[in-house]
Amino acid sequence: MERLKLISALAWRNLWRNPRRTGLVLVAVSIGVWSMLSFTALLQAWSASSLQAALENLTGQGQVHARGYLDNPGVARSMPPPSGALLAVLDGTEVKRWAPRVRVPAAVQSAYKTWPVSLMGIDPARERGLSFIATAVHAGRGLDGADGTGILLGRKLAKRLHTGIGKRVVLMSQNSAGGMAERGFKVVGLFSAPPQIEDRYVFIGLARAQSMLGMGENITGVSFGLRRMAELDTFIGKLRGAAPGMDVQSWQTLRPLTKAMNQLSSSFIQVWIVIIFVLMSFGIVNTLLMSLHERVRELALLQALGLRPRLIFAQVALESALVVLLGIAIGVLAATATVLAFHRGVDLGFLARGSEWLGAGRVLYPRLDVTQFAAISALVWALGVAAGLLPIWRIVRRVPVEAINRGQT
Amino acid sequence: MEAIVICRGLGKRYGAGDTAVHALQDVDLEIHRGEFLSLSGPSGSGKTTLLNHIGGLDRPTSGEVSVDGRKLGELDKGELADLRLEKIGFVFQAYNLIPVLSAYENVEFILQLQGVHARQRRERARAMLSEVGLEKLGERRPGELSGGQQQRVAIARAMASSPAIVLADEPSANLDSAATEELLALMSRLNEARGMTFCVASHDPRVIEYTRRRVRMRDGRIEADERA
Repeated sequence: MERLKLISALAWRNLWRNPRRTGLVLVAVSIGVWSMLSFTALLQAWSASSLQAALENLTGQGQVHARGYLDNPGVARSMPPPSGALLAVLDGTEVKRWAPRVRVPAAVQSAYKTWPVSLMGIDPARERGLSFIATAVHAGRGLDGADGTGILLGRKLAKRLHTGIGKRVVLMSQNSAGGMAERGFKVVGLFSAPPQIEDRYVFIGLARAQSMLGMGENITGVSFGLRRMAELDTFIGKLRGAAPGMDVQSWQTLRPLTKAMNQLSSSFIQVWIVIIFVLMSFGIVNTLLMSLHERVRELALLQALGLRPRLIFAQVALESALVVLLGIAIGVLAATATVLAFHRGVDLGFLARGSEWLGAGRVLYPRLDVTQFAAISALVWALGVAAGLLPIWRIVRRVPVEAINRGQT
Repeated sequence: MEAIVICRGLGKRYGAGDTAVHALQDVDLEIHRGEFLSLSGPSGSGKTTLLNHIGGLDRPTSGEVSVDGRKLGELDKGELADLRLEKIGFVFQAYNLIPVLSAYENVEFILQLQGVHARQRRERARAMLSEVGLEKLGERRPGELSGGQQQRVAIARAMASSPAIVLADEPSANLDSAATEELLALMSRLNEARGMTFCVASHDPRVIEYTRRRVRMRDGRIEADERA
């Protein structure tokens, strides 16, 4: 214990014998750690925003359909509204929202043009907190309810059709009997969403859609969102158990691109951390070696005085551990300050609609993930210290006699 | 008189074949408790090499060294370090002190390594510094002391652990005449008053003059061994 106190005191003082050098290592480590943590927080915000946007763009965290619907979506593959075991699971405590929907291929026709779309029959009240449509009305008003008479168009589609609020459009689709269903609707509102959604979807009341398509009370699917995403796999299993004849899928299957982007983002964070760490460890090891080569005679003296080689090794390793730890502490503080400074969001408005094309929201919200900060810091510290161990051991092994009396006989 | 150091047939060769250098050749030497001995000789004569072997800083090619009854050849690096800590004090030509510790802490360092209790440690360190006349400079770091003062701190440190022998390698090499005189007087006084055993490697005639046993070396061999 006494020896540990001794080498700790020596290590601490040695750290400050060359403040400029120590300062350089501190700057290198702290900038490295700051960039790792800040960049990770930003990338995760981007990733979370992309995922959120993807899920809110009608996917939800998962969906239930009749078998075959996902391969060939149409009114012919409808399902009855949830009941019995399926309804019990959907009404469970882990579910935040769920909504029945009708979604079929259709065409919308204005006085000027006809355009292919996906017809969405929704219950606006049930979509709140589940999909974007409940809050995305940009002009006019939302749907009255499941049996409202109006239609919502995307801004881009309205422009394409040369139509607007108060004007009428005609929806055409195939009904359950295989014939053509056609009905006129008054445009009551325009919604704002990513361009591919604005151009491809129209929304009417669920009951109106069922009536128009002759589906009775049938729907084409259910979308749901959970309170905790981590429970998704278990919940999917429960749903499949409750509705064995149905096709139950999670967002990972429904949106493989989003899943891939999410994984890519995680991999990118790891690659970034490795790159920064490698650069940083070059700096640490190089500075450590310079410092040790200047102090070889002093290390030899310590050994001549009776300090065991492993204690000398421990002392120098402790110096390295302390300087890396200090650098990490500064880096973590700086990264925390950076994340907190942007806790109200990083506005990507300057990217115009580019960010939306990429699937992310316009505002990113970097989050202070204490566990992740701690994990990255611990990893950097452990690897930073480990990187210096071999060079330290090599130098310590060389002392004492070659060093202490060099040039004397 | 009890032999503290025994060297038997000590040889050290660097390199091999035609380029081999024989730094020590068949050296037999005994150093007894309480002796004040000098190892002299020209550069390359092997005096520092011999000192390093006695101090366990180097391993011989042949022969063996014993210090206070322990054969150094049988000890590993860690055990040698322990032996140096307990039995041997060192005073080098330069780089004697740990730069980040004060004079007082440098003396205390050895005692702390030996696990001496804090209060005892403080008392002994102060007493040793006082003995070498530096009690008022205890808080200064080595960079704030003159060469002579640094050597005196090194002697205080060497004495603090009550070693069996103090090995000094060219201790006066970087000192002026007055500082050399002070240092030698101090060593002589400690030898006489405390019975401290000194083995000093030097080619400085002033140093040799002070010692009571003079071993002269040449080409790695002992050429003469005289008592004053």
